[in-house]
Amino acid sequence: MVDDEAIVRESIKDWLEDAGYQVATAETGEEALELIGKRDFGFMILDIRLPGKTGIEVLKEVKAQRPWIKSVIVTAYPSAETTAEAARLGAIDYLIKPVVPDGLEKLIRETIESAGREPTVTTVEVRPKPPVKAPEIKRSVVITREGLKTLVEGLAEDMEVVGVKSRNGKYDYDKITAFAELSLNYDVSVTPPTRYLLPPLETLFKFKLGAALELKPAADTTRRAIIGVHPSDIKAMEMLDEAFMATNPDPNYHARRQNTVIIGVDCLNPSPKSFAPSMGTHLAETGFDLLLTDIGDDRYVVNVGSAKGDELLEKHTKVREPTGDEIARQKAVRDEAFYKYRLSLNVPRERLPKLLDDSYDSPYWESRSATCLSCGSCVMVCPTCFCFNVQDEVALNLKDGERLRHRDGCTLIDFARVASGENFRHDKASRFRHRIYRKGKYILERYGRIGCVGCGRCATACLADIASPLEAFNALAESARIQEAARRVISEIQPRTELYTPRPAELVRVRELTAREKVFEFRFKDGSALGQLPGQFVEVSVMGVGEAPISISTSPTRGKSFQLAVRNVGDVTNALHKLQAGAVVGIRGPFGNGFPIQALEGRDVLLIAGGIGLFPLRSLLQFILDRRDSFKRVILLYGSRSPAERLFPEELADLSQRRDIEFHETVDKGDATWQGNVGVITTLIPKVNIDPKKTIAIAVGPPIMYRFVIGELKKRDLADDNVIVSLERRMKCGVGKCGHCQINGVYVCQEGPVFTLTQLRKMREAV
Amino acid sequence: MKSINLKVNQITRVEGHGNIVLKVSGGKIQELKWEVTESPRFFEAMMRGRYYEDVPYLASRICGICSIAHTTASIQAVEAAFGIQPSAQTMLLRKLLFNAELLESHVLHVLFLAAPDFLGAGSVFPLLQTHPDIVVMALRLKKLAYNLAEALAGRKTHPLSCEVGGFAKMPDLKELEAIRKRLEAALVDFDTVVGLYKGLRIPDFTRETEYIALKDAGEYAFISGDIASTDAGIIPLSNYLKVTNEFCVPHSTAKYTRHKRDSYMVGALARFNNNHKQLLPRAQKVAAELGLKAPCYNPFMITVAQLVESFHAAEDSINLIDQILSRGVATEDNAVKPKAGRGIGAVEAPRGILFHDYTFDKNGVLTNANCVIPTNQNHNNIQKDMEALVPLILDRPEDEIRLRLEMLVRAYDPCISCSTH
Amino acid sequence: MKPKVAFFDFSGCEGCQLDALNLDAGDVVDLLNAVDIVNFREVMTERADDYDIAFIEGSVTRESEIARLQKIRSQAKVLVALGACASIGGVNCLKNHLPMEEALRIVYGDKAGYYDTIPARPANAVVAVDYYVRGCPPVTGELVKVVKALLLGKKPEIPNFPVCVECKMAGNICVFERGKTCLGPVIRAGCSAICVTSGRHCWGCRGLVDEPNVDSEKDILQKYGLTVAQVVEKFKIYNTYGDVAK
Repeated sequence: MVDDEAIVRESIKDWLEDAGYQVATAETGEEALELIGKRDFGFMILDIRLPGKTGIEVLKEVKAQRPWIKSVIVTAYPSAETTAEAARLGAIDYLIKPVVPDGLEKLIRETIESAGREPTVTTVEVRPKPPVKAPEIKRSVVITREGLKTLVEGLAEDMEVVGVKSRNGKYDYDKITAFAELSLNYDVSVTPPTRYLLPPLETLFKFKLGAALELKPAADTTRRAIIGVHPSDIKAMEMLDEAFMATNPDPNYHARRQNTVIIGVDCLNPSPKSFAPSMGTHLAETGFDLLLTDIGDDRYVVNVGSAKGDELLEKHTKVREPTGDEIARQKAVRDEAFYKYRLSLNVPRERLPKLLDDSYDSPYWESRSATCLSCGSCVMVCPTCFCFNVQDEVALNLKDGERLRHRDGCTLIDFARVASGENFRHDKASRFRHRIYRKGKYILERYGRIGCVGCGRCATACLADIASPLEAFNALAESARIQEAARRVISEIQPRTELYTPRPAELVRVRELTAREKVFEFRFKDGSALGQLPGQFVEVSVMGVGEAPISISTSPTRGKSFQLAVRNVGDVTNALHKLQAGAVVGIRGPFGNGFPIQALEGRDVLLIAGGIGLFPLRSLLQFILDRRDSFKRVILLYGSRSPAERLFPEELADLSQRRDIEFHETVDKGDATWQGNVGVITTLIPKVNIDPKKTIAIAVGPPIMYRFVIGELKKRDLADDNVIVSLERRMKCGVGKCGHCQINGVYVCQEGPVFTLTQLRKMREAV
Repeated sequence: MKSINLKVNQITRVEGHGNIVLKVSGGKIQELKWEVTESPRFFEAMMRGRYYEDVPYLASRICGICSIAHTTASIQAVEAAFGIQPSAQTMLLRKLLFNAELLESHVLHVLFLAAPDFLGAGSVFPLLQTHPDIVVMALRLKKLAYNLAEALAGRKTHPLSCEVGGFAKMPDLKELEAIRKRLEAALVDFDTVVGLYKGLRIPDFTRETEYIALKDAGEYAFISGDIASTDAGIIPLSNYLKVTNEFCVPHSTAKYTRHKRDSYMVGALARFNNNHKQLLPRAQKVAAELGLKAPCYNPFMITVAQLVESFHAAEDSINLIDQILSRGVATEDNAVKPKAGRGIGAVEAPRGILFHDYTFDKNGVLTNANCVIPTNQNHNNIQKDMEALVPLILDRPEDEIRLRLEMLVRAYDPCISCSTH
Repeated sequence: MKPKVAFFDFSGCEGCQLDALNLDAGDVVDLLNAVDIVNFREVMTERADDYDIAFIEGSVTRESEIARLQKIRSQAKVLVALGACASIGGVNCLKNHLPMEEALRIVYGDKAGYYDTIPARPANAVVAVDYYVRGCPPVTGELVKVVKALLLGKKPEIPNFPVCVECKMAGNICVFERGKTCLGPVIRAGCSAICVTSGRHCWGCRGLVDEPNVDSEKDILQKYGLTVAQVVEKFKIYNTYGDVAK
């Protein structure tokens, strides 16, 4: 719990401890980071405004050091910018002060239930070993693009220059004959640059058969500069150095390494499949002669990593000292790049060997490798894979020959087959497991360096989509957590006495909307806020009659009271409809997941409401209108059965006047008073021009509407992830117990009621 | 009176399986037959139901020697059916690729398959001892042609990069530049071959027939133009079936053809007789040196016409490379939209005019195919040539008759398996 | 004693034999120093029935070819299938999807009665095959490699890994990433992925690897937009003989 206000800090600590959690507090970000460095935490509650390091800065460092910690931002002054940034940095949610313990506890509980962690970090036993090459020189200079051109041209006179070139929309290393061919701002190269140290095919030595066997070594001593190596590939080279130079130094590798100049470049636009930060490889401190960071305006900050690097700059080009602003800029562009990584490891890196140790017999290997083609693509594109095979090749004269080394890999069927025919890793599952073990455990334990640098090449190359070590690590961690949950001792858990007990709330005012619908405004008797997210629901009790789930129709941005719009359809709603202002009802909640606000920020939002689907959407609409700058285009499509059944007509009239929202309305059946569109809601969709890449659509309405709306949206090429609906089910308890709202394995009251189409497709009972 | 019972079972140094049968008794020819025994592979049946993209790939497998010709004719038939107009760049690359195959095929025939007969050997292998320079040169020329095809299409036998719509991969210009130099050197090599052929005695035998080849107003035609006949003049491509008139005979698995006369000839000599004025200067000069003059009615001169065409192809390749180098190459979008329809593709394969004729449904699936192969069209002419030749040499020893008949068949450079497709 | 080598052609395009000739002069000399070529109808007149190593080109498509192949087998010490037609049946087997009478009728019409044909098959459907030189055509020099291995007394090594390995070694961008489809993941390598390197895709000419995950490949082909029929069509081109194209 990190907050500079003692009262908040201590009260939440007390409250959470009462609820059975272990809580540590910190007053400042620095203090929090120190604590996190020493102890293991699963959950962090973080105030945004802190003295010294801000909450965002703390979050950033935590994401780098302990990416598995789940964080919630607390703020009294919510802004779209900070919340969006917090979300980018992995914050799972944010809460607006004052924090309601109920909501916070629920958040923690759910998060821990879905991603609970064991309390201690198991560290790896690693053979200590000094680095092969100690960093010689550390300094930074600035070079202009023109200066860089001079450098590259100068190098080309002395040696072969290879670098990253664009090829058919992808990038790959190739010989560079002109500076203009060089791409420095690329995502990932098709093949890793390690192939210049360990080529796919090379001659180990040549021989002449005969009475006296003649052998001639064949090391490649081409002097070569590799330009544009990303830090993750630099780390891969350092790993190869360990394997090929630390013990039994390999003459061919050594010769290449000695003759190779490495000029790295920071990766500012990572591939969407990369997870370098999780593997600690998105930045490199060593392993290069020079490392460039593109700071814009045709300037690069150059980190000099070796005396050789210094010499090259001296010999070929001109550099200057960086200004303070330029150094700051380097940090800023690196930070910016850091936010762009989309994937992360859900378990500390150091724990991977232990996790794998515990997972040897996991069913994961068998099930996940079923589609493995044993095609070897994963190992062939991997910068840290180095296994090889050796073959003799003799010329037709049957005298001259050479011994060739070529790449081999453990996912290939014959890799572990011995001459007698026995195959020690004969099934796909064992080969698949072996590779993941190498990436996460064996290499780390043998060489002290992680065997996976998170470049994502294997994930791109694998047609069966099973090769990413990240996916394996996370899946195994998840199943370890589930096992852990099953072992949890129930008696130690504190019951939540208030689980089924509603809080009293007073009906402030009632307004009739149509013949069947009324809107009720409530306020808690104790003066607290509901703390809802748009899209959540509450359980409303009319004592003696019963309890019913009702969606919340107002945004949390509209003050402490909240509105519930209710159609009179059953006992409870009928009883509600009879109430007058001043009456007291019971409220539990809010429940459910709500609409994904973070995902909507910065996007075009298409809202589609059919009939009383407008009730839950109204809270989102209000939220958006109150934070209008955080969203791009906002479009509302609304369909009613008839003009008489239009809800909130005065608000609709307002909307049609606003210029910052595109509003289209239709009725199924018109009448004499109606001048507007007539037709079902789907007829409105073709009327709006949307960009499927930028738009997220949210539809709420009767089940029948979804099928048609989804069909229409798919015609417009919207991705499944960007189509969101809210489902209505019989959410009797709201706390994931009663089972009434369950769709296949999903509890709508817990994981829903808001779902993406992607999630929906996995639930056969859904629509 | 003389009796002969001669049978050449599976004549050697030709592509495919064919027999020569000659029976003479009492000085009278009882039987004289050119039999084609090659196993048919039913390509026209196999092509049915194939997606258009796989059709040229499959067509290539009709022949291991002239796979580029088949691929090109097939691609052009698909393009004609779909109404695709290949780009200028594609046409340049296609012509150059076509030349590569022509050079390789002609070198193979002139030096490996035909020459041993003149030099008294059974194959090229003994020539390694007797004429090492010639063999080394022949291998060098073949290699050059291979490398040119490799630079353009990945490989020579069953080319890869050429596809419907264009080329899937652009050649490396540096490689073409290097090959250009070797082509210049090849012209000198060909001069040596001319020297060799000048000293050989080409059998003196003539029989006038109909000569059919593609004709293009702009150039010595290989991959464009209409049908030209020395008997009938210009015939539009769409009327090719009226020219070929294929028919079956029981002793040949390959179909026979005839047009104005009993038989007609296609190939290097037919091209020369129709298009000799369009040969490039070096080729013209060499034709004169070797005594090849249009019209030429001696089928043994086909080999000489091939040598003349080799000069043409080498010189033309140099010109094409120059054009490609000066305009550069750019990757093109070869996306194709299939549509229902019929298309005919015709090219001059090394052994003569080749037709592929396809019909596709609207999904680009082939519903009907017809391929007429050069050697198809020559089989009947070989038979008629034999019938004219044997009476003239009937007084010679049997071995000499046998060799002369084999040489006659080889002169046509027949591609028998291809003709039986 | 130099081993005697013979080449025999069955039904095919004879491209494999011709490509075998595509050697540098020095290699031809070396080859002829190492072996006696006693039968090679395509380029030489001499023939002999005494040979040690027989290379079989083409597939078997007529009754008469069965007896001929059996005779060669009984004579040869080592029998090597050369090329796709002899190794796996190759494109010739496409006609097996039709009744033979239908194939004859399509090509020869009312004269179909002149000719005979049987469903096409690879050499190993008729006789035992010792080694395979795969591909359509085999890679230049691959045949020589087998000869060398036999001369050196070792088993010719044939890759049992898929084309993807060599394709990745060649640094190619995956065909699937280019929006097309490919059989590379289940087809035996040894070709250096020449088709992909030349801008195309793998048609499967070298046949399946020993333990192909065909189900997964078929799923992937469908995931990338092919219909079930198109998936089968893809396998048909070279791999009709066998179960995969069914």
